[in-house]
Amino acid sequence: MTAKISIRGVTKDFSVRDHDEPFTALHDIHLDVRTGEFLTLVGPSGCGKSTLLDLLAGLTAPTHGEILLDGVPIEGPGLDRGIVFQQYALFPWRTALANVEFGLEAKDTKKRERRERARHFLDLVGLSGFAERYPHELSGGMRQRVAIARSLAFDPDVLLMDEPFAALDAQTRETLQEELLRIWEKTQKTVVFITHGIDEAVYLGQRVAVMTSRPGRIKHVLDVEFEAREGDLRADARFGDYRHVVWTLLRDEVAAARQEAPVG
Amino acid sequence: MHLLKGLRRVAAITLLAVVWEVLPRTGVVDRTFLPPLSEVLTALANLAATGELLDHTQASLGRSLAGFGLAIALAIPLGLLIGWYRPLADFLNPLLELFRNTATLALLPVFVLLLGLGETSKIAIILYAAAWPILLNTIAGVRGVDPLLIKSARSLGLPAHRLFQKVILPASVPTIFTGIRLAGAYSMLVLVAAEMVGAKAGLGYLINYAQFNFRVHDMYAGIITISVLGLLFNVLLASLERRFSTWRATS
Repeated sequence: MTAKISIRGVTKDFSVRDHDEPFTALHDIHLDVRTGEFLTLVGPSGCGKSTLLDLLAGLTAPTHGEILLDGVPIEGPGLDRGIVFQQYALFPWRTALANVEFGLEAKDTKKRERRERARHFLDLVGLSGFAERYPHELSGGMRQRVAIARSLAFDPDVLLMDEPFAALDAQTRETLQEELLRIWEKTQKTVVFITHGIDEAVYLGQRVAVMTSRPGRIKHVLDVEFEAREGDLRADARFGDYRHVVWTLLRDEVAAARQEAPVG
Repeated sequence: MHLLKGLRRVAAITLLAVVWEVLPRTGVVDRTFLPPLSEVLTALANLAATGELLDHTQASLGRSLAGFGLAIALAIPLGLLIGWYRPLADFLNPLLELFRNTATLALLPVFVLLLGLGETSKIAIILYAAAWPILLNTIAGVRGVDPLLIKSARSLGLPAHRLFQKVILPASVPTIFTGIRLAGAYSMLVLVAAEMVGAKAGLGYLINYAQFNFRVHDMYAGIITISVLGLLFNVLLASLERRFSTWRATS
């Protein structure tokens, strides 16, 4: 498989007020994401996961190094990537349907086609009956479904997800994880999924990239292979093994992160 | 529950009416200066019958709405501009702080000096008073837009002007409307004071002129009219505000 995203020697420094020394969030990151792959990224809190996502989204630029998308350096945000945020980021004055249409408006899609596509993707996330509801009339899980539909609707190649299920209760989270896998298989998107949950990372990812504590680096990339991705994956003996490997990799980093004063 | 609440509200006003009727009649207060409510209402009816009240009300509403409308037309675009361009906000902020803390009516003589005693100065002072809450709320509205929504829209590669149109503007509408509602109240409050200086018509003029000529009943009739007018205006704007901010219900 070819690399969809290629992160090459990326370092990100931030200047901090009242400090001469810049704050290094990410240090010399190397990572390739294959076309159509589901890659999860785990790391202790404050390791720069979200910074990496901002870089992939083109919302900020790396201090050193470069990120290639289909071999071309990322120079800004674009509709070839869709982001799903932890806090949904739905527009509260728009209905579910109008929220899903948002990205299509940015793409200057005609109104009729916009409606149609938006309905199709609301349907895909199981919210056909809620098109005219406003975000405040929906539960957290439903809001995140709308957000996912919104990101899929304008048909990006890459889906960037920043701890999208972290704010949901355990049951809703599991349901949405399953559905996300279903949608991924159906749409063939390349997914970069950030999480701090080990179970989630192992359950969703074909590969799990483990990050170090600040400054964030890629510590290890683990291939996760199951015979079949059906049934109760979490009960699979190999799930436990993978989980343990990631846990061991993370343990030292979490300890290291605790030593530091929490920044960012 | 609603009925009870409604009754209680009516009860307080009824109480006021009764006290207003009884105190002058029993001689607790001098009825020369505070005639019983029933007499005031009779005077009000007379003023209404002669058409005098309508003339004054029209004059007042005309000024008030002109100032209020101009304030909306000027303050919203200006507020959007100041809220959006940080350097402009930083530059203007000391000035805004200075003027918002200056009592509007302290400037009335200045307006009269510069613009004369006619309509211009009256509408101008109403415009000035009404512009502040709209301006400040618009700035606050633009500044207060959830950064995540901006980030989300920006990640789609939306250019600045469309970001403004599709995110900043709709997100600030409820806050701007709060400013408009406040401005409505201000425009009525300042109106009376403006009409007390060099006016020949208007409810403020009526109140002032009646007091001058010892038509105490007419004075109170004018006061009642203006307070009812203010109340109606506020109810109207509040319901408009609610309509435009339904989505803010629980966020």
